[in-house]
Amino acid sequence: MIETRDLTKSFGSKAVLCGVSLTVQEGQTLVVLGRSGCGKSVVLKHLIGLLKPDSGEVLVDGESITGLPERKLTDVRRKIGMLFQSAALFDSMSVEENLAFPLQEQGIRDMKIINERIAEALEMVDLPGEQKKAPSALSGGMRKRVGLARTIIGKPRCILYDEPTTGLDPVTSDSINHMIRRLQRRLGVTSIVVTHDMKTAFHCADHIAFIHEGRVHFSGTPDEMRASKDKEITDFIEGRSGDTDT
Amino acid sequence: MLTQIGRSLFLLLNYFGELAQLVVEALRSLFGAPVRWRLAMRQVVEMGARSQLVVLVTGAFTGAVFAAQTFFQFHRFGMDSAVGSVVSVSLFRELGPALSGLMVAGRVGASIAAEIGTMKVTEQVDALRSLGVHPVDYLVTPRVLAMMISMPLLVAECCAFGILASYLVAVPVFGIPEAGYLKNLINWTTGRDVIMSLIKGYFFGIVIVIVACHQGLKAENGAAGVGRAPTEAVVIASLGILGLNFILTFALNIFFPAG
Repeated sequence: MIETRDLTKSFGSKAVLCGVSLTVQEGQTLVVLGRSGCGKSVVLKHLIGLLKPDSGEVLVDGESITGLPERKLTDVRRKIGMLFQSAALFDSMSVEENLAFPLQEQGIRDMKIINERIAEALEMVDLPGEQKKAPSALSGGMRKRVGLARTIIGKPRCILYDEPTTGLDPVTSDSINHMIRRLQRRLGVTSIVVTHDMKTAFHCADHIAFIHEGRVHFSGTPDEMRASKDKEITDFIEGRSGDTDT
Repeated sequence: MLTQIGRSLFLLLNYFGELAQLVVEALRSLFGAPVRWRLAMRQVVEMGARSQLVVLVTGAFTGAVFAAQTFFQFHRFGMDSAVGSVVSVSLFRELGPALSGLMVAGRVGASIAAEIGTMKVTEQVDALRSLGVHPVDYLVTPRVLAMMISMPLLVAECCAFGILASYLVAVPVFGIPEAGYLKNLINWTTGRDVIMSLIKGYFFGIVIVIVACHQGLKAENGAAGVGRAPTEAVVIASLGILGLNFILTFALNIFFPAG
C-alpha cells in the first residue's frame, strides 16, 4: 500500500535520511525502529506528505505523492491517519470538537451521525463519555487515546503512529500497544509504528525495519530480529550504549 | 562588509518572497476554497470588537492633544476656528489609520503570531494538514477576511472619537466658538478624506494579518521560537504600516486630492 524509494533528506548540513526504502503491505503492521534522532519520525512525515524529500519518492497505492502540491494531497491524507508524538490535539477545542473536526471536514453535517461516530471512536480507545473535557484536562495517556480516536474517526485505511508510547508509564504503554493491535484487527487497517520501545515493536509488528545512520539497516520479522547477531541490532534490543561508568 | 550587505539583502528579498507566497496562497484560498465564515466572524469579534477600546482611547487622546497643539499655534494668528478642520483632515488622512494600525498591530499581531506559533511547535498545524485541511484555509484566510471587515471600522471609530475629543478640548476648554469650529470642520472635511482613511485601514489590516500569520507559521524551536514570533510580528507589521502609509499617502492623493 505504501512504499518509499531511496528517500534522502537533509536539514541544513545534517543528512538525516540517506536512501530509505520501505514497503508496507495492505493490512500489515510495520514497525520502524531506531535510536532517537535517527530520522524515524522524518520517514513517517514523508509518508503523508508533511515533508518533501530531497530525492527519492513515496508511493501510496502505486501512485507517487512526492511532487504533489499541498492542496492535491487531501485525498491521500484522507486515506492515511496520523497519531502525532504529542497527540497534537487542538487545544482551543474540546475532545468532542476535536473528534467532530475530521468528520465536518469530510462534509458530514448531521450532528446525530457525528455524535454517534464520536461515541463509537471514544469507545474504541476506552474513553467513553469524555466528550466534554478540554485537552488540557487530560493526562498524557488520555491525550494519546483521544488523538488516536481523532485519527480513526475518519476511517482511514492506514494509520501512522509516531512514538505512541513515549512519555507514558509502562502500564499505559502496554494498554496503548494492545489498542494498536486491537484496532488493526477490528478495522483491518495498515499500520506503521515509529518507536524505540522494543516492547511496542515486538507486540505490534508483523514486520520490523531498523534504521541506522540514515539507512534501513535491518528489515525482517520480529523473530528474525530477535535471532539476529548483528551488533547494532543486539545492542539496540538489549539497550547497550557501550559507555562505561568510569 | 559587502558580503554582509549582500546576505542582508538576500534575507530581505527571501522574506518578501515568503510573504508574497502567503498572499498568493491566501488569495487562492479566498477564491478557490469554501470560505469559513463562522471562523471569520469569530475573528471579527476577537480581533475587531475586542480592539475597540485601545483604538478609541488612542483616537480620543490623539484628537485632544492635537487640538490643543493646533490651538496654541493658530491662536497667535487668530485662526482658532480652523482647529477643527485641521484636526479632522489630519485624523482621517494620516493619524487615524496609522495610529489604529500601530495599536492593532501590537494587540492583534502579537496574539495571532503567538497562537499560530504555538500551534506550529505543538504539531497542531501538521495535524491540520494530516487531516486534509490547508493551514492557510483554516488559519490565515478567516483572519484576513476578519481584518478586512474590522480594520476600516476601527479606523472610522478612531477618527470619530478623535474629532469628538478635539471638539471637547477646543470648544468648552479653549472657548473656540462652536459655530465657526463646526462650520470649518464640515466644510474642509470631505468624503475623499474618509475614503482615504478607510482604504488605508483596509491595507494596514491585511499587512498586520499576513505578517503575523507568517511569523506564526514559521515559528520553530519550541518556547523560544514562540516567544520570538509575536515580537517580530509586531515590529515588522509596525514598520510595514509606517512604510506603506508613506506610499499610500502619495498614491491615494492622486485619486483623492485634499481640499
